[in-house]
Amino acid sequence: MTDDAPDRLARLLALAARGDRDAFAALYRETGPKLFGVSLRIVRERHLAEEILQESFVAIWRRAGDYEPARGTPLTWMAAIVRNRSLDLARRGGREVPDEEGLHTAGLADETASPGADLERRTAAHGIAECLGELEADQRQSIALAFFHGLTHTELAAHLRRPLGTVKTHIRRGLARLRDCLARGGVTEA
Amino acid sequence: MKLSHPALRSALASAWVLGTLRGPARRRFAAHLAADADLRRVVARWESFLTPLAESVPPVEPPARVWRAIEARIAPRPLPASASLWTSLAFWRWTGAGLATACVVLVSVMLGLRPTAPAPAPPVVAKPAAPAFVAVLSTPEQVARVIVEDGGAGALRLRVMQPWPAATENDLELWVLPKEGAPRSLGVVAGDRDGVVRPANLAGLLDGGVAFALSKEPRGGSPTGAPTGPVVCSGPIARARA
Repeated sequence: MTDDAPDRLARLLALAARGDRDAFAALYRETGPKLFGVSLRIVRERHLAEEILQESFVAIWRRAGDYEPARGTPLTWMAAIVRNRSLDLARRGGREVPDEEGLHTAGLADETASPGADLERRTAAHGIAECLGELEADQRQSIALAFFHGLTHTELAAHLRRPLGTVKTHIRRGLARLRDCLARGGVTEA
Repeated sequence: MKLSHPALRSALASAWVLGTLRGPARRRFAAHLAADADLRRVVARWESFLTPLAESVPPVEPPARVWRAIEARIAPRPLPASASLWTSLAFWRWTGAGLATACVVLVSVMLGLRPTAPAPAPPVVAKPAAPAFVAVLSTPEQVARVIVEDGGAGALRLRVMQPWPAATENDLELWVLPKEGAPRSLGVVAGDRDGVVRPANLAGLLDGGVAFALSKEPRGGSPTGAPTGPVVCSGPIARARA
């Protein structure tokens, strides 16, 4: 996705808001796979993720007129819809969380240390990725597992083999540092 | 959950956005959000902080059926709320109850026993030795209204167990519901007497079908090619052989 992606998606959303089904189909082609990935990581069941993707896009079609740049990039706006629904519907049951999560967050932190061409395209993610790199490893890992995989405090404690209270502290402090870092970096607040 | 203290509001909002707030607490918070504009602003700030992280998730190609399902649900014109019945889980639950009845009917018909019906319509088509499939269409209140069965030679027989009064400004339209995708029209049917439907390419329309449904449409049937009115009755198709 290039730098002009937010503009292109915003235009597609605006057209969809006026009932343009072709524009909405194009929006789905561009963003569907990424949003499916977002849901899949949280609910970890393909059929449930498909249902959530479907429900989310129907909601996006109906609420396309609500989108405005003040609410973030179009993809962020759509991702929030998918994440909310996924967190509402995720079923628990001792499923294995792939350990690649550690690699994923490490990858994010590395990219901010030595920015590559990859980072250039993630214009919206730049602020948060950089600030995530500033956290302690424990805080970063807990927050990443919660955000990407939808682990609850209890599940985090089990997965990381830490006391519940410790996990809650890591997240609380990590979130506070993220908020301060982002405020410092002048990231737009909605 | 008292949401008066700003620190508590921010903490809960961040937990809601991050995903650590779940279950009943999450639902309660969502209810608060609906009524509290300032809380929505706090949530919006946390969303602007955290949600951009989601852009880094690797894409996964969804199956084609997802888009087909989305497409079937977004219409050029707004559909009445009852149209969502077509894809809702609740719909499938109450049509599922009809399957047991349909199987009983199918077995009894195949054994040469006839289910009771009001004055049978004069036979329009040579009856097959046994129908290949049958469906009992019931209302949401589980009242069986119509039996649809294979009429042989590209036709469907409809037995109206409980006739509707002959309507003036509405018609009933018969649909076959495939496992995935949009309902397919089998045409307008009379609700006040037994009858036969003979749409072009019946076999093709029924291919992959799992249920029939009758919807209330304007005179002449749906103008859009998709159901526009409420589902009056529906039921799963019981086939004689898998």
